[in-house]
Amino acid sequence: MIRTTDLTKTYLMGKVEVPALKEVNISIRKGEFVAIMGPSGSGKSTLLRIMGLLDNPTAGTVELDGMDVLKLSDREKVKIRLTELGYVFQEYALLPELSGLKNVYLLLLMMGKTKKESIKEATDILVKVGLGDRIHHMPHEMSGGEQQRVAVARALVADPKIIFADEPCANLDTGSSGQILELFKKLNRELDQTIVMVTHEEWHTKYVDRVIKLKDGLIEKEY
Amino acid sequence: MLQEFRVSFFLAYEYLTRGNKGISLFTIFLLTLVFLQLVFFSAILGGVTEKFDSQIIDYQTGNIIIEPKENEEYIEDYDGLLRKINAYPEVIGITARTKGAGKIEYEDREVGATILGIDPDDETTVTKIDSAIVEGDFISKLDRGEIIMGRELSGGYGALMETRSLGGLEVGDTVTMTIGPAQKDFRVKGIYTTFFFLSDSSAYINKADMDEMLGIENRAHEINIKLEPGVDEEEFRTTLQGTGINEKIMVWTEFTGIIEMITSTLSKIRDILNIIGLLVTFVIIFVVIYVNIINRRKQIGVQKAIGIDRNVIIGSFVLQAAFYAFCDIMAGFILMQYGITPATKAHPLWFPVGFVTLQVSNNEALFRGLLLFSAAIIASFIPTRRLVDKDLLELIWGG
Ligand SMILES: Nc1ncnc2c1ncn2[C@@H]1O[C@H](COP(=O)(O)OP(=O)(O)OP(=O)(O)O)[C@@H](O)[C@H]1O
Ligand SMILES: [Mg+2]
Repeated sequence: MIRTTDLTKTYLMGKVEVPALKEVNISIRKGEFVAIMGPSGSGKSTLLRIMGLLDNPTAGTVELDGMDVLKLSDREKVKIRLTELGYVFQEYALLPELSGLKNVYLLLLMMGKTKKESIKEATDILVKVGLGDRIHHMPHEMSGGEQQRVAVARALVADPKIIFADEPCANLDTGSSGQILELFKKLNRELDQTIVMVTHEEWHTKYVDRVIKLKDGLIEKEY
Repeated sequence: MLQEFRVSFFLAYEYLTRGNKGISLFTIFLLTLVFLQLVFFSAILGGVTEKFDSQIIDYQTGNIIIEPKENEEYIEDYDGLLRKINAYPEVIGITARTKGAGKIEYEDREVGATILGIDPDDETTVTKIDSAIVEGDFISKLDRGEIIMGRELSGGYGALMETRSLGGLEVGDTVTMTIGPAQKDFRVKGIYTTFFFLSDSSAYINKADMDEMLGIENRAHEINIKLEPGVDEEEFRTTLQGTGINEKIMVWTEFTGIIEMITSTLSKIRDILNIIGLLVTFVIIFVVIYVNIINRRKQIGVQKAIGIDRNVIIGSFVLQAAFYAFCDIMAGFILMQYGITPATKAHPLWFPVGFVTLQVSNNEALFRGLLLFSAAIIASFIPTRRLVDKDLLELIWGG
């Protein structure tokens, strides 16, 4: 589904080169739930952003279903991000003026669906993530876990090939974290949803199929 | 395109209805003031300009002025000319005048003035001096040796240049007038004011008295014509020229001289105020939208990340600015139309040209509105585009 070849990223801090990724080769199959782990500064976020087309590598390639996506124009990348990739950020990253429903609805509207379709699909997806009774709440009226579930619903709504999640539970307590991870697991199992998640917590690994451990921009081990 | 607009519209609507209404209202309020300022000053200056024009037509020249042929001092046998021109249906009134620069003395004071010799009955068909009398009466056809003068000559009655007047002359007093070698006493029959100092610095006597002092007969310095409202003055002039009149035929605008200067100055001021108003609008919208988007850096980054097109994001803010602009233009327009303009109609503002009511044409207001609207669009577009085009990572994760 997604494959990176010799992915290298070097940040330039003034005149000093900071290597963040060093020729990383990863391949993720359809339907896999993968965790990327490693110490702080090991390049986890960098890797995820590059795979998610949010950033460009210094060298190497990213293939999505066999297509070299780095060669695409910015506009085409926006389109792929909208229709084929989903994102869950560490902070809930919802629009505060929009209710849960409308945060999800926005994407459907952007994809060109009618108002009616969009409302129906957004409602369905919110029910699926377990927010059926609070779709009209504003973000500030929801708990962190609930907001993150709206974010998951938003990531899911385009029926993306892959969902990328960068420490989605970092701001949540253990209980809420468990619920989000359960949700991911359920989506992975029931919908065969491919998910790539960055996490710090060792106990999260029991939800995932595979763990990729990074250290200093290199793959330390996989299991 | 239409679909992107739909999403922008949705976002703008949600921001406006769910966002901070206080800020929205305050913005609209400020911009309404700016719009009113734009239209109001424009309307006042328009009113003043119009007043200047009507001062000239109503108290000095009428619409059309006929002057002697080239190199001649007088229009000879003007009676025939009067009758001929008066036959045109466009003509409301016509009169012949003789004019002279004279000196008027009263007790130990004297002033120089333009003295007009008029046929009182004809004069009232062209100008409104008779209705501007504030003390005494207008002269009549049979009155001889009587004079009416403007307040700037008589002094008193709120004259602006009191020190240069005859100093509180009253109706019934006798003044001595000198024109060239001729000298004659006149009894003051009336004092008038048009509230405009240039019109208030003349004196009127019977044309018979004037002709006698000048030693002429059947001659006039000028013929003044008042036209039906709406008749095109230039066209009528052309008509007259086609009938074999050899005298110089002029339209009142050619007599404006200093007025022309004043009104063109006013219109320059008007332009400058407009530019300032637009700048203020620009700055207000810029600041409001700028603060708005700066607080949403991260959100804008996230929107870009999840695949919302940049045009949609820019559009959502430009539409908000458009909404503000639309509201304040409507509010300003309604206030102007149903508040301020009727109020000045009921209580005209006093200016040194006289009482002025606001002159706003709807086209003019619409034009100002469009300018303001454009300023709002540009002022919101610039900062939004700059922010949206920033790097995604910097927006979401940068400082
Ligand atoms: N914008 C940047 N400019 C310069 N260096 C950067 C930038 N972003 C990341 N880095 C560096 O790249 C390396 C990898 O960073 P990255 O954010 O991928 O780490 P991480 O594994 O996600 O860490 P954490 O667990 O703290 O989130 C670090 O050394 C970091 O300092
Ligand atoms: Mg990270």
